[in-house]
Amino acid sequence: MIFRKKVLILLIAVLAVLLIANAAPAATLAGFDDNEIRIGQWGPQTGPAAPWGSVARGSKLLFDVVNEEGGIYGRKIKYFIRDDMYNPAQTAAVVKELVERQGVFAFVGGVSAAGGLAVKDYLAQNKVIWVGPATSVKEYVFPVQPYLFSVYPLYEDEASVLTKYIVETLKLKKIGILYQNDSYGKNGFDGLKQRLDTYKMSLAAEIPVEPTEKDLASQILRLKSSGAEAVLMYVNPTTAVIALKTAANVGYKPQWVSSNTLSDYPLMHKISGGLWEGVITGNFGEIPDSKNPLMVKYKEAAKRLSPEERWGTFYSAGILFADPIVEALKKAGRNLSTEAVLKALNAIKDYQTIGPKISFTEKQHQGSDSVVIQKCGPNGSYIELQGWTANDLATWKK
Amino acid sequence: MDMKRDYYEDIQLFQSGVVLAWTVALLLVLFTIPLYTPNYYVYLLNIIMVHVILAVGLNILVGSTGQISLGHAGFFAIGAYGTVLLMTLLQIPFVFAILIAAFIAAFFGFILGLPALRLEGPYLAIVSMGFGLTIMHIIGGVDAFGGRMGIKAPPLDLGIKQLGISWILKTDFQKYYLILIMTIIMVVGARNILKTRVGRSFVAIKDSDIAAEVIGVNLTIYKTLAFAVSAFYAGIAGGLFGFVLGFFDPFTFNMILSIIFLVMVVVGGLGTILGGILGATLITYLQYDLLKNIAEIPYFGALMVAVSKQWFTMVGLENISSMAIGLIMIGIIIFEPLGMFGVWIRMKKYWMTWPF
Amino acid sequence: MPVGQLLVEGLAIGACYGLFATAVVIIYKTSEVVNFAQGEMAMFSSFVAFHILSVYRYPFWLAFLITMVFSILLGILIEYLFLRPAKHPTILGMIVITLGAEMFLVGLAGWKWGAEQKYFSLPLDPSVTYEPVKGMIINNWAIAVFAVTTCIMLFLYLFFKYSKLGVAMRATQQNKHAAKIMGIRTERVFSFAWGFSSLIGAIAGMFFASRATLDPAFMMEPFLRAFAAAVLGGLMSIPGVIIGGGLMGLIENFFGYYFPHWKPIVAFIVIILVLCLRPSGLFAKHFVKKV
Repeated sequence: MIFRKKVLILLIAVLAVLLIANAAPAATLAGFDDNEIRIGQWGPQTGPAAPWGSVARGSKLLFDVVNEEGGIYGRKIKYFIRDDMYNPAQTAAVVKELVERQGVFAFVGGVSAAGGLAVKDYLAQNKVIWVGPATSVKEYVFPVQPYLFSVYPLYEDEASVLTKYIVETLKLKKIGILYQNDSYGKNGFDGLKQRLDTYKMSLAAEIPVEPTEKDLASQILRLKSSGAEAVLMYVNPTTAVIALKTAANVGYKPQWVSSNTLSDYPLMHKISGGLWEGVITGNFGEIPDSKNPLMVKYKEAAKRLSPEERWGTFYSAGILFADPIVEALKKAGRNLSTEAVLKALNAIKDYQTIGPKISFTEKQHQGSDSVVIQKCGPNGSYIELQGWTANDLATWKK
Repeated sequence: MDMKRDYYEDIQLFQSGVVLAWTVALLLVLFTIPLYTPNYYVYLLNIIMVHVILAVGLNILVGSTGQISLGHAGFFAIGAYGTVLLMTLLQIPFVFAILIAAFIAAFFGFILGLPALRLEGPYLAIVSMGFGLTIMHIIGGVDAFGGRMGIKAPPLDLGIKQLGISWILKTDFQKYYLILIMTIIMVVGARNILKTRVGRSFVAIKDSDIAAEVIGVNLTIYKTLAFAVSAFYAGIAGGLFGFVLGFFDPFTFNMILSIIFLVMVVVGGLGTILGGILGATLITYLQYDLLKNIAEIPYFGALMVAVSKQWFTMVGLENISSMAIGLIMIGIIIFEPLGMFGVWIRMKKYWMTWPF
Repeated sequence: MPVGQLLVEGLAIGACYGLFATAVVIIYKTSEVVNFAQGEMAMFSSFVAFHILSVYRYPFWLAFLITMVFSILLGILIEYLFLRPAKHPTILGMIVITLGAEMFLVGLAGWKWGAEQKYFSLPLDPSVTYEPVKGMIINNWAIAVFAVTTCIMLFLYLFFKYSKLGVAMRATQQNKHAAKIMGIRTERVFSFAWGFSSLIGAIAGMFFASRATLDPAFMMEPFLRAFAAAVLGGLMSIPGVIIGGGLMGLIENFFGYYFPHWKPIVAFIVIILVLCLRPSGLFAKHFVKKV
């Protein structure tokens, strides 16, 4: 018995060494053929972050429209949405499944920062293009990663622009920040801090919140007693609503300023019971009832193709993030290849559809640098306060 | 059927030639899986095996000793962060880093075991849950640990850099073998622990801690030891998980993960090694693969889309997966209180007594 | 430091935790099962109220009544369909069943109503606030929470003390078999406990929903906190649980005021310390276990 056990262990060890040494790297499938181009996106469709899932479904609308118009040089776009439940382990699983089983040519969008960072290197190794991550993460494009193109303006830049507006136009001196305790909130915090440093001003209060916290009374009271006249929010919609309701309850009325993630005024106005009116946010997409011809076209298409969807900002942002890949596929011509599309993407300059102007170069994959500043009017309408503004302090341009 | 005639028979690794033969066959299958399995499943298998290690360890605590823990994601995190940080900051080779990290986890397990001396049931659940949340929060608060941004795992180098030996595992396949071997070692280890004096003390504590104390089991030592052993397993699992994923942030190790671990153990079967393995495999598989992308499934997908359009919403279609997992969990516990292990026993009995 | 205001807000959210924890305790008292589906049962009931209000546009009181009836049925149904058929269940097995029910309800709500946040409001004007003492602004929401919690506490006290059913529930808790021999239909007691707990949970859920937003995941965090508050109070005594909830709200708000970064976990750390000193919570009598 003992002897047999030893033989077994030896056998396993030999086998293991042989197999580890021989395990062949994965052969990737081509992402397209003569009839279709396969494009994928991950995003939380279920779980606590599921409201962001409409981004992935928004991109679908764009591809449906492209397919209706005959596809790209006769190739239809086949689009896969995968639910990752906002869990990086699942993001990696769905991305591997798409790359290795379905064979996708490119990814668009993709909400979670951690999930994106978990698959970033894998996508680069497999030479899969990834355009327009639906979140702004500096590590995505700095340093440049040849297959990854970002459309989303950096939170840091946006916070800096917003702070400039608060200080110079609104002439408010005491600024507080309520930020989500993750990379999103921290980036906003960095932008604010950088701008305030140039004015030699200090923060009235800096309050972190957990994304899931449901009681913000102490945080709001802290802001109130700090005397902050303007509060910058880098939080999620639910947290923002709780903050506004709590502030109304304790009689605190600062100028609320917030990032573009809360720029869906009809939604925010509704779920905050009207308290959202007067809040200033950054934004980088056309507003839902814009007269922009492309926006009108997509809105009509949405009514026709997916009547169930609410025509909101996240949904239309899905179109915006996916736009550059469609443009590049068209530019790349009939002889499709990853290299051709990369070349076309790198040549994109001042390309504007329903978002900011996007430019890529070989050395620069952060596509946009500007936001508009808007204010929520009555019934969730949009009032533009300041047009496209770039951050003059942007660290990545120097 | 499970009768033992003497002690030596009880501690044998393979109880009969048949078991040995089947084990060898299973190992052969496991070692050759990558030769005929599509690539992307190997990643899933890696995650499953990591969960198997953790579930087997948790089962020592929950199933064999009768304690409860809702904080194992915390130990898991300590393992993952510990291994990666020891490798990147202190340049310690992987093999030692993962062991040190697991011992750190075991130390924290020992600490958590101290209040467990006085607590039980929901009280212990809340304390361990608070522990898990605190670990997650502390890691997120320290910038050297990557803060909330998360941390990237270095290349998985099995060699020792200081001696100039380097053996980097890059693909999921190569990692598969490493994890498989670790899993086998850990599972056999767990089985052996349970057959020793320590293991029998654990079981005695589960049956009645007061009676165990009366017959001379030192509760202080064995209860904290159970926590430490279980945390050690979670630490090893976490260390491997960090490299399976390549990148992780504190939120990866959230409260829900701790609950899922407990579910694995209970659904698999409390107090048995096989239960931990089966439960981890089943629950992980269900979470990652059951009824995903419903609209793409032939026939059933079309039916569900029609149902959604009629009575529900299309945007929530993916939720069917979660509903199905919930029902499967309930079904297993309702029909088989021993969990998957009970199902296994039943199948075995059926075949052994066939055709009667 | 606005002591008065922190007191009001801490007590208000604490009462809400306490109210919800009561729902947890009612089930725990009868069957020793911590019901992890409690939060999701409340979430589902709140969604039903939302559905009635926004789709059928019934007046609030009617929607409220329908929701109450629905929540009772939901509780009874879950107990009847999921827990009762389990043969020889262990406590952990029962907990896993409630976790399964939780996943099922989250999935069902997500499928039916989608993941996007919904607006849910009680008919209380948020702009009306009172300031009885300077620095203590109290709003309608807090007043409603205090009033409802007090009413339910009073009712529970009278119910467990004087009503036949209440006495039966207490008897079942103390010894299920003896109760059965005495002619108490313990199954019915379990059904009732689940229905009643679901009802209280639904009321608390609506309070939470009107303070934040309504979405399928919105009760996970309050449930954990309520569970912790229940443990702090001792899990067996209902007044203890309310005090546990209040303490939780106060600790979080006072400590969180100075150290906002640690607010999410401070309550848990306090609970760990308390449990080290009093292993059965603050207000439970430590019962002697038979060997």
